[in-house]
Amino acid sequence: MSSIYHGEDRVPVPPADAQQFTTVCSYCIVGCGYKVYKWPLGKEGGPLPHQNALRADYRTQQPEQAGTWIAPAMHSVVTERSGQRFNIVVMPDKDCVVNKGNHSIRGGTHGDVLYAPDRPTADRLTHPLLYRGHSRLPTTWNEAIELGARVIKATLDTWGPDAIAMKCFDHGGGGGGFENNWAVGSFFFTGIGTKMASIHNRPAYNSEVFASGDAGIAPLPSAYLDAKLADTIVLVGANSYETQSIYFLEHMLPNLGGGTLPLKQQVLPAEPHARGRMIIVDPRRTSTVAVAEAHAGKDNVLHLQINNGTDIALLNALSRLIHEQGWHDQGFIDRRTNNFSAFQQANLAQSLDEAVQLTGISKAQMMQAAQWIAKPKASAARRRTLFLYEKGLIWGLKNYENVASVVDLALLTGNLGKPGTGCSRLGGHQEGYSRPGYPGQRPPVNVDDVAIKGGASKVFWVAGCNPVGGTLNAQHFRAALAQRTALVNQALDATNSGSLDDKVAAVMSALDKGGLFLIVQDIYPTETAQDAHLVLPAAQWGEMNLTSINGERRLRLYQKFMDAPGIAEPDWKIMARMAQRLESLYRAEGKTEMAARFSGFTWTSDEDVFRAAAAGVKGAQEDYGDTTYAMLKALGTNGVQTPVQEMKNGMPVGTTRLYMDETRFTFIPAAWPGFPSQIQALMNDPRYPFWVNNGRANHGWQTLYDDARKPYVIGREPFPHVEIHPKDAQRLDIASGDLIELFNPYGSVSAMAVVTDSNAPGHVFMLFEHPKGWLNSLTTDYVDPATTIPYYKGTKAGIRKIGTLSGVNGQLTFIPMNQA
Amino acid sequence: MSDVSRRRFLKLGACVVGGACATDALPSLAQAAEGDDITTLRTTLPYPRVQLASIGQLTIGREQLTTYPDQASPVVLVKLGRPAINGVGPERDIVAFSRRCSHMGGTLNFRQGTGTLHCPLHYAMFDAQKGGLLVIGQATDNLPQLELEVDAAGNVFAVGISGLLYGRQANILPNSGTV
Repeated sequence: MSSIYHGEDRVPVPPADAQQFTTVCSYCIVGCGYKVYKWPLGKEGGPLPHQNALRADYRTQQPEQAGTWIAPAMHSVVTERSGQRFNIVVMPDKDCVVNKGNHSIRGGTHGDVLYAPDRPTADRLTHPLLYRGHSRLPTTWNEAIELGARVIKATLDTWGPDAIAMKCFDHGGGGGGFENNWAVGSFFFTGIGTKMASIHNRPAYNSEVFASGDAGIAPLPSAYLDAKLADTIVLVGANSYETQSIYFLEHMLPNLGGGTLPLKQQVLPAEPHARGRMIIVDPRRTSTVAVAEAHAGKDNVLHLQINNGTDIALLNALSRLIHEQGWHDQGFIDRRTNNFSAFQQANLAQSLDEAVQLTGISKAQMMQAAQWIAKPKASAARRRTLFLYEKGLIWGLKNYENVASVVDLALLTGNLGKPGTGCSRLGGHQEGYSRPGYPGQRPPVNVDDVAIKGGASKVFWVAGCNPVGGTLNAQHFRAALAQRTALVNQALDATNSGSLDDKVAAVMSALDKGGLFLIVQDIYPTETAQDAHLVLPAAQWGEMNLTSINGERRLRLYQKFMDAPGIAEPDWKIMARMAQRLESLYRAEGKTEMAARFSGFTWTSDEDVFRAAAAGVKGAQEDYGDTTYAMLKALGTNGVQTPVQEMKNGMPVGTTRLYMDETRFTFIPAAWPGFPSQIQALMNDPRYPFWVNNGRANHGWQTLYDDARKPYVIGREPFPHVEIHPKDAQRLDIASGDLIELFNPYGSVSAMAVVTDSNAPGHVFMLFEHPKGWLNSLTTDYVDPATTIPYYKGTKAGIRKIGTLSGVNGQLTFIPMNQA
Repeated sequence: MSDVSRRRFLKLGACVVGGACATDALPSLAQAAEGDDITTLRTTLPYPRVQLASIGQLTIGREQLTTYPDQASPVVLVKLGRPAINGVGPERDIVAFSRRCSHMGGTLNFRQGTGTLHCPLHYAMFDAQKGGLLVIGQATDNLPQLELEVDAAGNVFAVGISGLLYGRQANILPNSGTV
């Protein structure tokens, strides 16, 4: 039996003359600042302060939280295109106000995911691949672009823009950013003009917070400072210790522990202050609950262990209790809101008895929550409550009303546009959205159903996502993808000619018969790429300059510090190449109008695209105006919080918190809607007794695309884990580490059991995405008809034990994560 | 072999586990782990051989606090009462770990009931039975585990450390004899 670990007992330190770069974590919304050191292999800094770039004395033990320790996972040796090899260290920046040198397990392992031909990242896509005779073989950019452009043009000319579907990243951070998003949007919306667009692993082109937008509230109105100033922080459907770790550890916990009292007194001297309280709405006792209790004491943390899908009933019941007690903010409602009566009729009509019965939360707990949210403090000062919500609410029962009910509660209690308040999504990935307008309507078309399963589209371009596991009802999606792409494979296999014309003709005849031409653009050979005809290798974070904002709209430059592998290119450049080829094909035919749609992709640098993308964020929370790379370089890891108000002395002046003015908001009525028919059918069927809640875990990021190449991460989670209650486990003869199967009429998946009482009996929690077991094989095809957002968080399944895999579970730990 | 190439080899050795897992073969995690040649993971640093305890003095679940490889490095030695990864003694249940959290160096506390080590700074938790594996928290590696040996008389010696101690560039401080 051996343990899973890195193994090193020393690391090289950067010499004093090492190259230095600033960047931001490639992963979560919090966007911790990082520094990068790069120096030639074979050289090393010395232990004396003047001998190393960190100016640390490595002859002595560094004190705790020194910010000078290089963990083995922060170091790598990379090989650049010239063949030269370099040491690289990526470590958290102690001068960044977001993280102050702190890091999560995700950001702290960037060394492990830099491309290196002799490490687990060796399977990065280095060259374009083209389907030839049962496999995907390397080819040149010219051939890849030529074939892609010819197929796209023929499809566009024959069937029109909606015959071309896309599912693309829209995020900030790794692989995204304003640059790449602008290029993707320009290609598909200005160029192609398709409505069959969808955002990463979702089925449609939508905001996840349409209701917040309709209320007049941008998705990220608050500052992390507000978490230090709040009297109460309300987390709805968020496990922040694991998914916004450093926001939680550096900004929320200090408030709960009383550490920010001096700051509160200094910033808000006119009212009484106490240590912050926290309310956590989650069907599971998460590590966040445990850590909050350990830090703040149980008396300062209220966990509302809600039944799956019942958030609207709970939040409306809280609104009703607060209104009945007279704790609402009448002045704010009068001065700054519209539509209160519609809210009153829909939300405040929620029966408390029904809410108790639906949610499983007692009236006493609801009253305690109402007090913590809105009961005025001594001297009649209003409580400052910060509402933070994420996927548990966003991907819950009914996206639109779910988000509306928390927004309404914030408006009712006047918690916007003041220090220590707000109503914000926490966020998953960072943001860097800037695109020309989506040509479709609201609600946006369900691309999975209409374009892929329904056959309306003939070409499908997937960039930076892995929908075979990430989209809803994934087993059916996979079946449609495999069947339709196989028709193209067969047509190409039957074409023995080497001519491109013959290949295009073969593809077109297969598309005419229901086939689907699949283009995958990514950094790794994803599971979705296994069906692709054309695979385009993209550059990753660190291999191009990019810009993004974090969860408090902090805009920074993520500097390029190494080459992309092989001949991989930034996404924006790939889109530009394809557009330029289409432009010239149309121009050759004299179709000037079509050619014009694909013109303008003439950027020559990352910053060219950044400047072009400024047009797409004008007036939005991301508006960065005339900001340049040089300004951002000077601002380092602290950057500037958008929107940029003005330029002062040649530097951008930002916005700490939105809505400090007299902006008016709109109540969005949201009554408890009941369960949709797909879920009702599962609820009524005794073969599927378990509610399957799901989410991310601390150690994994998204689909685990990077983590599958981090030995320390994938080694500890070789299969997705499912948390199951001891009572259920005993009945099914399941022990921790056993392999189990979950099944329902939509599909089946295997997973590894972890026996813990984190969930109530009859409820299990499964890791959301893992290449060896996609939870989404179990999710239904239901989406909120108002927004086309799925109810990812709720499905039901039966569970059976498969057995135990010897040799696997001996290395793993099954100690419950939710104790601290 | 130079330090640099040795470290590269270690990274490659470790990637057998993750690389195999990342593709398809289910059992390869176990195979790779069992197949690891422990000698290739041994350090080249000059670790001292230091007696930490005698088996006869150890009580199950009661931790012993000491230091290794020098006084600036607090460690904990414990007899868990159940076999542990890299455990020594007749029950293979004696293990020792650094008490500096491999996240940011907080000083860890041992909890007998769960056999876990806990950090008060950011609530990392490590499993003493599983080689110091992170249960939850923001550390990017196991808790460094001491390599232990037991002589014929039942004396427990520390002879090395797997994993890099927090706050050091190398587990043995340069010129540690004089600083």
